[in-house]
Amino acid sequence: MFNLPTGNIGGQELFVLEFGDIVNYFSPYTAALFVFALIFTVLAIVSRPERQVDIAFGGDAYGAKEVSIDLMRFQRFMAIACGLATLGAMVSGDVFNFTLFASLVGITNIGIVAAYRNRHVLNAAFQYGIVAMLATVPLFGGAAIILASTGTLSMWELFADGVAVPIIAKAFLVLGVMGEGMAPFYVAKAEITRAQGAPFILMVHVSSLLLFLRVIEIVISM
Amino acid sequence: MKPNRSVITRISETISRLENLTTLYAFFFVVIAVLGLVTLPFITYHDDQLYPKTIDPNSSLNPYDRGGVPFGTTPVKAQYPENSPYVGYVTTYLTPLSHWLADHTLHIGTTIVAHPGGIIDEILYNTRGLDTVVETSILFVAFAIASYLFRRDN
Repeated sequence: MFNLPTGNIGGQELFVLEFGDIVNYFSPYTAALFVFALIFTVLAIVSRPERQVDIAFGGDAYGAKEVSIDLMRFQRFMAIACGLATLGAMVSGDVFNFTLFASLVGITNIGIVAAYRNRHVLNAAFQYGIVAMLATVPLFGGAAIILASTGTLSMWELFADGVAVPIIAKAFLVLGVMGEGMAPFYVAKAEITRAQGAPFILMVHVSSLLLFLRVIEIVISM
Repeated sequence: MKPNRSVITRISETISRLENLTTLYAFFFVVIAVLGLVTLPFITYHDDQLYPKTIDPNSSLNPYDRGGVPFGTTPVKAQYPENSPYVGYVTTYLTPLSHWLADHTLHIGTTIVAHPGGIIDEILYNTRGLDTVVETSILFVAFAIASYLFRRDN
């Protein structure tokens, strides 16, 4: 049990956390991602939101945008939830459990940006929401194909040499994470970043980046 | 006259428009789904499933009959049995109302499962407890977003 079938991607495991059939593992790779997510979660907990200042070009006028306390609280809650979901996804040792965490990351990302009233931001959040909804189909479809074709969901079994995971299941998994985390779709994110409240908005980027790094590790190891 | 634009310029202009985002994702989705349909005949079903599903049409709990004796031990497959020493110990316990329903009709198996306390079973959930936690968290976050958006104008 305490010997990862492939040590060539993330190295050997350092620590194992057992939840029944779901056995989470910390290899140097996943532990590094975990620590990175942990740092940003702590930053989201302790920091205060930035205040954007709009400067009128060619004049002395400027205006500061206020972040109301309600919005700040809600965003902080969503950012912390997003950080926790990212922490779970980083060390998850089970494919279905990983897809659930990815889905949780997607919905908390929508929660972070949905609370604004800015028209551009809401437009981006709307498009992003549609993609995230659509992405649950390939995400869970990929996990379902893996379960049907190999009979198991545990990464400890799937990473072994004798188990052949269909390439289409891997493609579905990557496509699903792309949609949930929006890693390659930076056009929507550029709009989202117009919103004020920097540390909480940055959680959207951190979580999707880490999620994408993790799914690549899973897909290569399988 | 439009300047002579390269292919890369046109592609980058298309994908930089936010309105095309959903279309772009749907395009990827369709391409991979078609590839999936083509390769589907080559995927074989693995017979030795870790989470098997059987359907017994004569059971009043069909299609959710998980079998087993209430408060007895039932053999349950687990990936790592050493992590779940009590697996299959509590299984398929019906509340009195559900029991009455199950005794009198064959046709409301879904209703029995869907109402609160219908079937309390631990066949799957004892081994996959973390999944249940995350699923509930997703629901909770969705309700939190909806309630915040609904109440923020008050």
